[in-house]
Amino acid sequence: MGLRCYFGGTAIQTLRMAVIPASSSSSRFIFGRPLSKTLTLNSLFLRRNNVNYLTRPPFTLLTKALAATAVQAAPPTETIDRVVKPQWKAAIDFKWIRDNKDAVALNIKNRNSNANLELVLEIYEKMLAVQKEVERLRGERNAVANKMKGKLEPSERQKLIEEGKNLRDGLIMLEEDLLKLSDELQQEAQFIPNMTHPDVPIGEEDRSIVRKMVGCPREFSFPIKDHLQLGKELDLFDFDAAAEVSGSKFYYLKNEAVMLEIGLINWTLSEVMKRGFTPLITPELVRSSVVEKCGFQPRGDNTQVYSVEESDQCLIGTAEIPVGGIHMDSILVESMLPLKYVAFSHCFRTEAGAAGAATRGLYRVHQFSKVEMFILCQPEESESHHEELIKIEEELFSSLGLHYKTIDMASGDLGAPAYRKFDVEAWMPGLGRYGEISSASNCTDYQSRRLGIRYRPSEPTSTNPKMVKGKFTPTRFVHTLNATACAVPRMMICLLENYQQEDGSVIIPEPLRPFMGGLGLIAPKFSRAE
Amino acid sequence: MKGKLEPLERQKLVKEGKNLKDGLITLEEDLLKLSDELQQEAQCIPNMTHPDVPIGEEDCSTMRKMVGSPHEFSFPVKDHLQLGKELDLFEFDAAAEVSGSKFYYLKNEAVMLEMALVNWTLSEVMKRGFTPLTTPELVRSSVVEKCGFQPRGENTQVYTVEGSDQCLIGTAEIPVGGIHMDSILAESMLPLKYVAFSHCFRTEAGAAGTATRGLYRVHQFSKVEMFILCQPEESESYHEELIKIEEDLFSSLGLHYKTIDMASGDLGAPAYRKFDVEAWMPGLGRYGEISSASNCTDYQSRRLGIRYRPSESSTNPKKGKGKLAPTKFVHTLNATACAIPRMIICLLENYQQKDGSVVIPVPLRPFIGGLERIAPKFPQDE
Repeated sequence: MGLRCYFGGTAIQTLRMAVIPASSSSSRFIFGRPLSKTLTLNSLFLRRNNVNYLTRPPFTLLTKALAATAVQAAPPTETIDRVVKPQWKAAIDFKWIRDNKDAVALNIKNRNSNANLELVLEIYEKMLAVQKEVERLRGERNAVANKMKGKLEPSERQKLIEEGKNLRDGLIMLEEDLLKLSDELQQEAQFIPNMTHPDVPIGEEDRSIVRKMVGCPREFSFPIKDHLQLGKELDLFDFDAAAEVSGSKFYYLKNEAVMLEIGLINWTLSEVMKRGFTPLITPELVRSSVVEKCGFQPRGDNTQVYSVEESDQCLIGTAEIPVGGIHMDSILVESMLPLKYVAFSHCFRTEAGAAGAATRGLYRVHQFSKVEMFILCQPEESESHHEELIKIEEELFSSLGLHYKTIDMASGDLGAPAYRKFDVEAWMPGLGRYGEISSASNCTDYQSRRLGIRYRPSEPTSTNPKMVKGKFTPTRFVHTLNATACAVPRMMICLLENYQQEDGSVIIPEPLRPFMGGLGLIAPKFSRAE
Repeated sequence: MKGKLEPLERQKLVKEGKNLKDGLITLEEDLLKLSDELQQEAQCIPNMTHPDVPIGEEDCSTMRKMVGSPHEFSFPVKDHLQLGKELDLFEFDAAAEVSGSKFYYLKNEAVMLEMALVNWTLSEVMKRGFTPLTTPELVRSSVVEKCGFQPRGENTQVYTVEGSDQCLIGTAEIPVGGIHMDSILAESMLPLKYVAFSHCFRTEAGAAGTATRGLYRVHQFSKVEMFILCQPEESESYHEELIKIEEDLFSSLGLHYKTIDMASGDLGAPAYRKFDVEAWMPGLGRYGEISSASNCTDYQSRRLGIRYRPSESSTNPKKGKGKLAPTKFVHTLNATACAIPRMIICLLENYQQKDGSVVIPVPLRPFIGGLERIAPKFPQDE
C-alpha cells in the first residue's frame, strides 16, 4: 500500500530532518538529548492544550489551562540552555507578521531590536508544514480506522493494524516536533517589538521631537541649591542611615517631606478620579509570568526586577504590571470599555547598570511611590486615549507650576511594548537640566496579546458576513495604555528646587495645600546662621 | 631579648617565644570560636519580663481595659468580604491570579478609606510630638535579626530577595530601629519619637484556618507604626503613653475593644511587656487583634548598638581619661497606630447599615473629601 511505502522509514526520516531549523541553537534543541523521554510529561500536558491551540485560528480562546499554573507543572527541560519552555504563550499573529514582513523587519531595525525575524518566519513555515503533515496523517489514520470497522480477512486486518500503528507512531513524533517548534516560535517571536506609529521620529534619542513646551526656567536672584542640600538643611531626608540599613539609593523621608509625599499622592488621585478613573491600590508582589506578559524581563542580566527567593514572585517596578494583570485571561464586554484605572503603589527597581551623576539623591532610587494611570479600550480609540492621558499629565504639571517639555520619543527609545510614547521632562534647577518625570505609552495590543485580554464587540462586525455557530461575534484584543500621573521622588526634586526661597524655605504650590493640612511653606528649623 | 645575651641563651629564648606564639594562636582561635558559639546560643535568650506580666500561656493574659460594647444590630450582619463585594471595594480573585492567595486590590472608596486612615493617624500622632517618617521596605537581613526577628527560620515571616542579603520588612519597627544603629546619641536628644508609614510584607507561613479570610491575614498591607527611643528609667511611662495614644485613636473611631496585658508565654523574644488591643468584629463574631504595643527595653538596642551618653556622670566617681560619662543602652518601644486591613474590617463591619451602606466615622471625613458614607452602587434588590 502506498501508505506503507511512505512510512517505510526513509520518508519519515527525511520529513523529520526537514523540520530541523538551520540555526545552531535549534539544532542543539533537537539533537541535544533523546527526543521522546524528557518531553513525555511535557507533551502529555501540552498536547491536551496545544492540539486545540493549533487547529483553531490564533485569535480564539486560550484555555485557562494554558495559564501559568497548569504549564508550570511541567518543568523546563534541564539540558536546554537557550530554548527554555515558555510558561505561557502570547497570542501573536504570525500570519500577519508573515504577510507584512517587510514592514516588521524595518520596524525591528528602527527600534534597534535584536529580534530575529528570519528565524521566526522560518520556524513558522516549518511549523505550518508539520501541521499540514499531521493533519494528513490524521486523515489517513481515520481512514484506516474506518476500514477496520468492516468485515476483513485476518491477514488484511493484520496489515491494517500494523499500518494504523505506524501512522500512530509517526503522528506521535510529528506532534512532538510540532510542540517543540511551537515553543521555539513563541520564544523567538516574543522578541519582536510592537509596531510603531507612523508619526514617531525614526532614530536614536536625539531624534525625539518636542511636542510642547510649557513655561521657562525660573530666574533666581540668589545662588540656588539642589534638592539634597535643601533636604539636609530642612531635615527632610536621611540617605546615610538608609545606606547602613538597606544600601545605597535608599532613603527615609522625614517631617514635611512625608506630608509632601502624602499630599502629592492624595491630590493626584483626587484629580485623576475627577476625570473618571477608578482608584486602585495594588499588590506589589506578583508572579514573574505577569511581569513578562507586560513586556518586562525579570530574569535578564541587567534586570530592573527584584525577585523573591524560592518563589516565582517579583516586586513590581510599576503599578502598570498588577493593573495589567487584573483582567488577564478574560473576555470583557464591549460596554465595559474603556476601563480607566488610577493606581497607587510603591515601586521597586534594581537600577542595575545605571551609574554616574544622574543618580544623586532622589533622582534614581530603588523604592518610590507612584500614581499610575491605566486604560483598556477598543483598538480604534487608543490614539485618542493616548492624547487624553498626556493631556491629563500636562494639566497636573501645569497646576503645580512646573516648567516642562513633552517629547515624542524616537523609535530607538521606545521599549518593546510601546507603539508610541510621550515623555515629560521637567526643569530641575539644582540639577541644571531637564529630568524625566513621566512617561505615557500606547501599547496597542502588545500587552493584551500576552495577558490574554479580549473583548466581545456588541454588534456583529459588518465586515464579517460569516457568523459562527453561536450568535457571538469573534473576540478582539483590547488596547492598553499606561501613563505616570505622579512619580513622587522626581516630583519632590522639582518642587523643592523650583520653589526654594532665598531664606532657605520652600513654598508649597497652592493646589497641594489642602492635602497637607493647609501647610504653605517648609521653613528652616534653625536660623540660617548656624 | 632586648638585652645582651649569649648566643645559646638567645636561641633558647627564640624557641620559647615561638612556642608561646603558636600556643597563643591556637588559644585565640579557640577564643573566637567560643565567642561565636556564645553569641549564637545567648541570642536565643529572651528579654526579661516585667513583674506584673501574668505567667503562663495565652489564656493567662489579663484584660487591662474594655471600652464600649458590641453594637446591637436590628438586621442580619454581613462580614467585610460580603460588604466589600457588594460595595465593589476589594478584588481578591484577580489578585490570586496575578500574585497568589492572600493578596488583594483595594478599589473605589476602600482606596480613599486607606488614604484617610493613614493621613488621619499620622496627623493625630504628629500632634502628640512624634516625627513622621516613611521608610525603606527593603533592608539588610542583619537589621531584621537585630530587631529580634528570624529571617531564615523554617516558618519565617520574612520574604528574602534572591541573590541578595536584603529582606522585605514585616513592620516599620525594623527600618526605624535601624536608623540609629551603631550610634551614640546625646542624652538631650532623648526621647526620640517617630511615627512611620510603610507597606509591610509577611509570608504568614504556618498560618492557616478560618482566621485567614479576606483582609484578616494578608501578605501585604499598609501600617502606621510608633517607635520611641528613650532612657531606661522612662520606658515604662512611655509604654503607658503609647497604649494611651492607641486607645484614644480607637475610641475616636468609635470602636469597641479591649486592651490585654499579654502573658509571658505569648510575648515574643524582644518584649519586656506587651499590650495588645483586640477590637470587636461583628462579621467575624469575635475580637480580632488590631494593634500591639511592646516595651523592648534594651533587647533591641544591645543588638542594634544604640547607646546614649548621659549628660552628667553623677553616679560614677571613677573618671575615665576624658570627662565623658560611660554610655548606656537606650530602651526602645514600638506600637501599632494603625494596621489598615484590620481597621477596614472593623469599620466596614461595625458601621454597616441596613440598606447595605457603610457610615464613615466623623474624624475621618475631613481626610476623605467629606464623604459620609459608602453607598451601594446598585439597589439592594439586584
